[in-house]
Amino acid sequence: MQGEKNVYKVISNGFEFSFSKEEIEALDFAKVADATFNLLKNHRSVTAKIIESDNSGKKITVEIDGQEFPVVIKDELDQMLDKMGYGASTGKHIKEIKAPMPGLVLDIAVKDGQEVNEGDKILILEAMKMENSITIQANAKIKKINVSAGQAVEKGQVLVELE
Amino acid sequence: MKKILVANRGEIALRIMRTIHRMGIRSVAVYSEADRESPHVLFADEAVCLGPAPSSQSYLNADKIIAFAKELGVDGIHPGYGFLSENAVFAKKVEDAGISFIGPGADAMKIMGSKLAAKECVKKYNIPMVPGIDKAIEDVSLAKKIAAEIGYPILIKASAGGGGKGMRIVEKENDLKEQMERAVSEAKSSFGDGSVFIEKYVTSPRHIEIQVLADKFGNTVHLFERECSIQRRHQKVVEESPSSVLTPELRNKMGEAAVMVAKSCNYTSTGTVEFLVDDKLNFYFLEMNTRLQVEHPVTEMITGIDLVEEQIKIARGEKLSFSQEDIPMNGHSIELRVYAEDPLNNFLPSIGTLARYEKPVGEGIRVDDGYKEGMPIPIYYDPMIAKLATHGNNRIEAIQKMKDAINDYIIEGVATTLPFGTFVFDHEAFLTGKFDTHFVKKYYTPEIILDKQKEHAELAAIFALKYWLEQQKQVNPVENKSTSWKRRLAH
Repeated sequence: MQGEKNVYKVISNGFEFSFSKEEIEALDFAKVADATFNLLKNHRSVTAKIIESDNSGKKITVEIDGQEFPVVIKDELDQMLDKMGYGASTGKHIKEIKAPMPGLVLDIAVKDGQEVNEGDKILILEAMKMENSITIQANAKIKKINVSAGQAVEKGQVLVELE
Repeated sequence: MKKILVANRGEIALRIMRTIHRMGIRSVAVYSEADRESPHVLFADEAVCLGPAPSSQSYLNADKIIAFAKELGVDGIHPGYGFLSENAVFAKKVEDAGISFIGPGADAMKIMGSKLAAKECVKKYNIPMVPGIDKAIEDVSLAKKIAAEIGYPILIKASAGGGGKGMRIVEKENDLKEQMERAVSEAKSSFGDGSVFIEKYVTSPRHIEIQVLADKFGNTVHLFERECSIQRRHQKVVEESPSSVLTPELRNKMGEAAVMVAKSCNYTSTGTVEFLVDDKLNFYFLEMNTRLQVEHPVTEMITGIDLVEEQIKIARGEKLSFSQEDIPMNGHSIELRVYAEDPLNNFLPSIGTLARYEKPVGEGIRVDDGYKEGMPIPIYYDPMIAKLATHGNNRIEAIQKMKDAINDYIIEGVATTLPFGTFVFDHEAFLTGKFDTHFVKKYYTPEIILDKQKEHAELAAIFALKYWLEQQKQVNPVENKSTSWKRRLAH
């Protein structure tokens, strides 16, 4: 029954995957030590470790080549709950942009009332001897800019308010 | 010398103190309020707080550091790199206070601190220099005349510059005026000195530097080269020794030139003479760094010489215990600078706490770091977490060891340059040794790392899914069995 069709959605480190039954069968793994496994995929040999997993076993953190991959497995029920809006929300709504670190505002790239899109540059904050672009993580409209160029800001200070 | 104060923080403070400790000398750490729990503070025999986190109020406070040194009966100060290490005024103040400055003399530091003064100083020694003028220039029409003589592209450089600031490449005469004005204003605002000069822009350059060591008796030796061409934002990120392009003859020639540069300013202690090497293996003197370099471990790994120990001995007034011919060159060493920077986002600093931090260990692996698991990366200082260096019998072995060490190096909580290292050490141009300072610009895109991460993410996903499915399968049969067993009992 399980894996017969493309029913599982797997989210790994922000990427979303789904696998066919054949693909799942083709993966070979062997336990080589406590929580350490040797994987063979298309004859390539890779070591993977299970760092942690929750009670359901559907949230697993896997380590490959020194990097951790948080994995969430979603079965049909999980996906249905997601659709009905009970799961983790995917629609993003942000009310303000805060300074991620103390620094000096060098330049402001937006104006009051401006419509901005996800990924747009909002301002440049100088910290750690470097210029950092602060971008917006969702589509929004600028309500009010609370800082000006040349101003020093503290971590967590609200830089820009959004509608 | 009985007690040495290390006027620095992080990995370099810790690395210097290890040598101090080994030599049976007491160590004094200085720290800012942000660094109270740092390993360099915990390692030292004594520690003093300099003040609030910003460097201007702590690690750059020369007078406070000297006052504490006097109070604690310190007889030597090691400045590390960065902060006050190339500050001639500080070096002089330290000596005036009756304390040994473990580094070069203030005069040599002052000369080499100015690119123009340095050129003037080495002029009479016949050291090859990039064609250009060796005087500050303000007049645009004169600049145009000189540029026409040496040929475009040219490079406008700030005399007081460093780290790529105040530097402008000019491709054609029409752009000269504007670029010159911008370079002058950038130099003024960054270094308080607007003087610029013009050099021919060497295309396809490699950055190769020579380590020198000089005692106070006029004995000067070199400890071969370090290849530092892999840079991002004009800052080194991968270094190795030896360079894959130097022949023994060229190595000797460059070594001799470097020794001459050091002698021209009566240099003492460790120093580094930087050269540009073009695609025809012509080399040109660039500048001298009057400090212990960040990348000194690769030299230590191939020569077996502890450069900090030598610095301390020289400061104590000892003669060098070896001559040029005695210096061994064993195998190959590579270093990767592990920065809290995101290679997927233009190498911008990545702020955060080291949620997991596990170092690689093994023969021929050296990690110089100043952090522990759970520590935040302070935003006030350079975002370097560690230097990962490996040593092998040859270049291939050193590279292979490096790749394994990167995989064993676990850092969670901040993005780092580790995946960028994997990209470099897998790249054909690096493996064949055919690369220059444009390596990153030419070959690197974040997509390369992203694709690999996606590949690993997919592997993690399918493994996690199959593992979970098999666990489910194991649970169900056990349940079935137990029910039938119960049923049997009931009968």
